[in-house]
Amino acid sequence: MSWIARLRGLLERDRLDKQLDEELRSHLEMRMADNLAAGMPPEEARYEAQKRFGNTALLKEDTRAVDILGWLDECSRDFHHALRVLKRSPGFTAVAVLTLALGIGANTAIFSVINAVLLHPLPYHHPDDLVMVWESNSQHPNPHNTVSPPNFLDWQSRNTVFSSMAFVFDERDNLTGNGDPQEVVVQDVSTNFFSLLGVAPLIGPGFTPENGQPGHASVVILNYGLWKERFAGDPAIVGKSILLNGHPQTVVGVAPRNFQWFIKDGSLTGAKPEMWSPFVFPQSFHDHKQMGRFMTVVARLHPGATPAEAQTQMNAIASRLEQEYPDFDGHWGVNVVPLRQQISGDLRPALLVLFGAVGLVLLIACANVSSLLLARAASREREMAIRTAMGASRWRIARQLLIESLLLALIGGGIGVALAVSASNALLAASPRNLLDLRAVTMDLPVLAFALAATLLAGLLFGFLPSYISAHAGISETLKEGGRGSSSANRRAFARHAFVVAQLGLALVLLTGSGLLIRSFVRLVGVDPGFDPGHLLTFKVALPRSKYGTDQLCMAFFRQLLARINTVPGVRFASMESFPPLTGLGAATGVHLLSQPPLALSDLPVANVGVVGPDYFAAMNIPLRAGRLFNAEELAEEKHVTIINQIFADKYLHGVNPLGQKAAIYMKSLAENEIQPSEIIGVVGDVHQMGLDTAPEPTVYWPHPELVMSGMTILVRTSNDPLAIVSQARSELQHIDPELPMAGVATMDQLVADSLSRSRFTMLLLGIFAVVAVVLASVGLYGLIAYSVTQRTQELGIRIALGAQRRDVLRLVLGQGTRLTLLGVAVGVLAALAFSRLLSTLLFGVSATDPLTFAGVAALLALVALMACFIPARRATRVDPIVALRYE
Amino acid sequence: MGKPKNDLLQGTLALLVLKTLARGPQHGYGITLHIQMVSKDILRVEEGSLYPALHRMEQDGWIRAEWGSTENHRRARYYRLTAQGRNQLREEEKNWERLTEAVAQVLQFA
Repeated sequence: MSWIARLRGLLERDRLDKQLDEELRSHLEMRMADNLAAGMPPEEARYEAQKRFGNTALLKEDTRAVDILGWLDECSRDFHHALRVLKRSPGFTAVAVLTLALGIGANTAIFSVINAVLLHPLPYHHPDDLVMVWESNSQHPNPHNTVSPPNFLDWQSRNTVFSSMAFVFDERDNLTGNGDPQEVVVQDVSTNFFSLLGVAPLIGPGFTPENGQPGHASVVILNYGLWKERFAGDPAIVGKSILLNGHPQTVVGVAPRNFQWFIKDGSLTGAKPEMWSPFVFPQSFHDHKQMGRFMTVVARLHPGATPAEAQTQMNAIASRLEQEYPDFDGHWGVNVVPLRQQISGDLRPALLVLFGAVGLVLLIACANVSSLLLARAASREREMAIRTAMGASRWRIARQLLIESLLLALIGGGIGVALAVSASNALLAASPRNLLDLRAVTMDLPVLAFALAATLLAGLLFGFLPSYISAHAGISETLKEGGRGSSSANRRAFARHAFVVAQLGLALVLLTGSGLLIRSFVRLVGVDPGFDPGHLLTFKVALPRSKYGTDQLCMAFFRQLLARINTVPGVRFASMESFPPLTGLGAATGVHLLSQPPLALSDLPVANVGVVGPDYFAAMNIPLRAGRLFNAEELAEEKHVTIINQIFADKYLHGVNPLGQKAAIYMKSLAENEIQPSEIIGVVGDVHQMGLDTAPEPTVYWPHPELVMSGMTILVRTSNDPLAIVSQARSELQHIDPELPMAGVATMDQLVADSLSRSRFTMLLLGIFAVVAVVLASVGLYGLIAYSVTQRTQELGIRIALGAQRRDVLRLVLGQGTRLTLLGVAVGVLAALAFSRLLSTLLFGVSATDPLTFAGVAALLALVALMACFIPARRATRVDPIVALRYE
Repeated sequence: MGKPKNDLLQGTLALLVLKTLARGPQHGYGITLHIQMVSKDILRVEEGSLYPALHRMEQDGWIRAEWGSTENHRRARYYRLTAQGRNQLREEEKNWERLTEAVAQVLQFA
């Protein structure tokens, strides 16, 4: 019986015990007083009274047991009663449970993603003290511009707000030896990178400060995945040597399994790292004249310092640098961004919108169940009235109904969590790549706690009103009137009407949001990328500089590769470029048109630089607008020529004929006297380099000899399925150099789809939620109208008996539905106007108050709602007056 | 704790208590006095069974308890019959009549 004792201790013991003690004491005293009055001596009077009680402890024990058992009994009786009631109406129970499971499941699934992305601690030591430090230029829109090494060094020596600063930049290198050659993404980091993040290697000593000295930097730390796959989890890997771009590197550690560092902005490869290597600044990195901006910087705040304080101090440092190096740092400032914000930046608005959406779905679900309970409560009114008459208190009645609601909610919540588990798997499968940069989605304790809280809240929410109304029903009225026309019935009817209006309104808000996203997506898909993505294969080849040390070797390799691929049957053009479009990657720099007055470096017009191979514009199907394309000679050796795109001409040349103009492109060097200006020989169409939702930017194209890059993306235009030639292309590649891997194989169509995936994902989810909302709201409306038709059967019968036509009855019933629908739509439009601006960051080419969308979804919802009314309305026209009049 | 030790006794006690309370609210001590007095000292209610019984009947909703004060200004817990208790009393009286009739018949027949 220990559980009873424990429950007693937990719950009611004190109150019940004290009460019982007092009751028994008063009994004793009264008996003693009587005994005294009867003439007994005081001692005997007390003794006699005590004796009659017998064993007081036993008596107390027995009585207490009755109290506790009674309390438990009552609860379990309510519970069993609730279970019986639910079993008795399986239809109602199934609908309610399913509705709740949908609502709670959707909330749990979305919350599990939010938990992983926005709430879960990042896998670093005191992650809230970590910030990203970017450069930002008041003249360019990018707030997260990569950092130049000399500025990094100045920041590091001048600031007092950070306990340490580290830099990272990534590249693709070739890993050879022990197995097939493999391209790996390597992050070059400062030696304090791991210690700044507070992460120790799983095995091995990691980097030491000594590794930052020239001659000691040939060491690497592997990530867990690479260690497991490539090196079979070799426990003795530390101290062994591997070949990276042909250079031996000593393994000094393996990173922990959950360690990851990937900041999309500023990544040069756009991929997660598999290896880390310390990087020693050569002398040139200290010179502002020689360096570009290409590093990512992470810093740890001193304990107690805030990102805002860091921002203030870095602003001061930046303006000093602006004065000291006006050429290089003019207009350049610093932007301090907390790491968490950096990582969730992209997803945050979409996730919050989706969370709001599932919240609305749950509200609609609650309104539905509440409405069902109200309808049922009307038919149980006599039961309740009789129970009240038999002595049940209002609280008892309310409690019993609330227990029924909670039971419903718990069953629904249980199924909902099960749904959420499979839903979040589907969610991840459908989600864009790199949705979760650093964390995995799991059904962990916080998620389950959230699900339970949502369940209980939902139970109270939908259970409150029905039980309140039932508990406050007037008994005599109910018993007399048989439940109809009583004040509680009126209250119920009003509540149900209000629920339906609210449901339709909420559904319209969701429908509007989803309509706006669909319109955005259609706009986005309709954007002409500026090239033809069909039948285009892309893959990357990166040449190790150890083997291909000179420009001549690099150029010769790519020339040979393209020539061989051109011989593969089905290939129309084989070409290459430095950064493929739509991947968010690119290199930009200042361009000085010699016909214009000279400007400080930082004031120059900015353009993307694209390095391309032969037939590039033909392979991509980019139209030539003026001038000519590169000829064979220009593609073979450096002739100082360039082709610009249309927007470059429009933006920077203002109608002046660009052909024949000379442009100094600050790419290979930042020193003016070292730059040989290029002559503009042609103008081509614009391409969306950064993404379909980003306007094309001014671009200059160089043939490969002008800027010999060792890593290029190969583009192959085919007549048929581009993936069919992958194996032949690979054998051509390895015929030239068997140690070279073929990386990132994808069709251009896939790259386009990937660039749309985030928009598609949000649109899809919001669309699903909107459909669920509309279905639930329609079911709610249908239920209400159907119920009212049943209730009005007698009245309808009389009307028909008196000669009302089918049309009149139809109009009568539909009229009720139409009024509710119009009211709901009006409420919904107002709410959507208030809320849709929250979506604005997710929209493309559509205003948040787009009238067409608003009108469209309002009409759609009204149509669906009226269809829901039409079914019961038709039933109303078939009422047989004889049967109806005999109804009661 | 399960079932009461003696159903007949328990039922009888409940009937006596309900009947006593039908006259008006009373505290536990008053109930024992009343039963003792009316039965001319034949029936004596043990406190040991009275209080568990009272609390059980309270849980069943037949009676309801409230604190009040006696004529001598002493605090006591008063029990009062509920509507449900009144129904129960009617039931129990009927049962009791049936039982005594049956017992009488058995006695006559033998």
